[in-house]
Amino acid sequence: MSVDIANAKNMSETQRLQNLSEDDLSIELVTSGATASLFVEIVRRYQQQIYYHCRNLLLSHDDADDAAQNTFIKVWQNANQFKGDSRLRTWVYRIATNESINLIRKRKPTIDFDEAQPEMADMITEDLYLSGDDISLKLQKALCYLPFKQKLVFTLRYFEDLTYEEIALLTSTSEGALKASYHHAVKKLEIYLSVLR
Amino acid sequence: MDLENEKIGPAYNAPDSYFKESESRLLQRLGIDINSPEAAAPKIESTKPVEVLIKVDTSGIQKRARKQDPQTSKSVGVDKEVDAFGKVEIAPLTFTTNENPEWVNFSAISEETIGSSDSLNITKVTYGDLLNPVDETTEIKTEDSEILETELAVSEIPVPEIIASESVIAEPAELLPTEMECELIEVESAVIEVQSEGIESIETIELTVPVIEEGLLEEKIELPDSIIIHEVPDSVGLDELESYIAPINTPKSPVIEEIFQQDEPQIVNLEAPATAFAPIAGRQKESATPGWLGVAASLAAIVAAYFIWNAIQPPKAEEAMATELQQEEPTAIESPLDEPASPKDTIPDGLQLVEPLITGDMPKYKEPNVYTIIDAKEMPPRTKRALQDLEDNGLATFDMEDEMFEELDFESL
Repeated sequence: MSVDIANAKNMSETQRLQNLSEDDLSIELVTSGATASLFVEIVRRYQQQIYYHCRNLLLSHDDADDAAQNTFIKVWQNANQFKGDSRLRTWVYRIATNESINLIRKRKPTIDFDEAQPEMADMITEDLYLSGDDISLKLQKALCYLPFKQKLVFTLRYFEDLTYEEIALLTSTSEGALKASYHHAVKKLEIYLSVLR
Repeated sequence: MDLENEKIGPAYNAPDSYFKESESRLLQRLGIDINSPEAAAPKIESTKPVEVLIKVDTSGIQKRARKQDPQTSKSVGVDKEVDAFGKVEIAPLTFTTNENPEWVNFSAISEETIGSSDSLNITKVTYGDLLNPVDETTEIKTEDSEILETELAVSEIPVPEIIASESVIAEPAELLPTEMECELIEVESAVIEVQSEGIESIETIELTVPVIEEGLLEEKIELPDSIIIHEVPDSVGLDELESYIAPINTPKSPVIEEIFQQDEPQIVNLEAPATAFAPIAGRQKESATPGWLGVAASLAAIVAAYFIWNAIQPPKAEEAMATELQQEEPTAIESPLDEPASPKDTIPDGLQLVEPLITGDMPKYKEPNVYTIIDAKEMPPRTKRALQDLEDNGLATFDMEDEMFEELDFESL
């Protein structure tokens, strides 16, 4: 009987958290602290976005899976350090971006993030969960010809629909520099796509 | 293509099953059960900082450090008090039965923990205990010493002390109540004469006289009746020492030499001469022939070769003339007809007449060998005759003002 009551209580708690907006979820996390049900709600809400974000940066499914898992582990371990100064999504994205960068450095310690990595384009056609859309694959290959920061800004803005303000918080860069970087990335990609066609 | 207006979707599309599996895997890794009653409870910090620390008294403990001299840039090891670097605090340790005792820091265990009844029976062994092992060995030693003392008391043997590397002339002493006698021991002069009798009884002495070195006693068994050890100067090497000792003590010389090296190594110069480790080229002795002689010999050989070479060469004038004649004669005979036909084929028929001009194979113009001699009148008749011979053979033409060919004037006609 007590188990049923507990399950019912958990169900209602889960439903309540599902109905919360992102801002309310952030407030809930700051005020009530990290609970298992709240953490599960965060995972369910941002899991796909974080996976695709990591996948866009890392290109490999295994690497993206590792980075996403580590991201949420760190979210759980550091949940009490979230102060609510930024949006919860921005905070999670920042952790995921750092995890992706760490994984890239681990795979290739001598990598220069100011340089493009065109050799990574070969990884795109041979991995799991590809959409099969030709133009999308070409865009992903074209992204490999961008420096990492331009690629990051374009991915967050174009695919994840983050605002410049969020990206500025995430990358610790000014919005003006981000807009210029995004503009350069778009122009380069248009040229690459016209060549790749 | 306009990326701003044409929205391109992401290239990846993972199924929902993957995300569900990933979520369950993540929760399993973190040990979270969403169905448990504690799911709504705030998370308990798994790792809390240790609040209670045991302060270890480090007074008197010194830490080895290095100090660098700023002028000489040399570092010197110095001992510093650990307290100078701050207090060392070690967190309380929790011991489990499966823990490797090698990794247990026994110095962090307080005396109360050791003495308490609910803790394990831990015996602290300090570094001092390790330096001074347990009393069992001491007891064994005492037993041995007692036995020795007993035996000595029974046999009443005065123990002579032989101090090595010092000038000691030991008094003759009776080592045994048997007939053994040690008549003379001179270490300083490196001449030791020992006459011993009843050597078989020495083995019984070894335990009772520990002062005498064991190696020396062992060798004494093999000693001949009379042994003479000679002092060898420092400059003598090992090879020379062996040849020096061999004729003196033929059968026992290696043993004597070994004793000599073991007991008094300072007498024998064991260091090889400096040239022993030098390269082979450096060890070669200088040749008796002076160096300038080789240089002079090589110079003489060069000069001789020069003269021989000049001697076997033909005269240059004759050779030059011969080659000149060989070159001129074929050119005089040359004609365009001898030319290969291939260039002609490329020339049109109308231009066959100017073919030599086109091909550039015109026959060479041979200038006559005309030489003007002004003072022909003063030439000796012999020279004139020679010039005449040259003109007759067609080799040269001389324009000489010798009035041999007078000019014809119109009036004479």
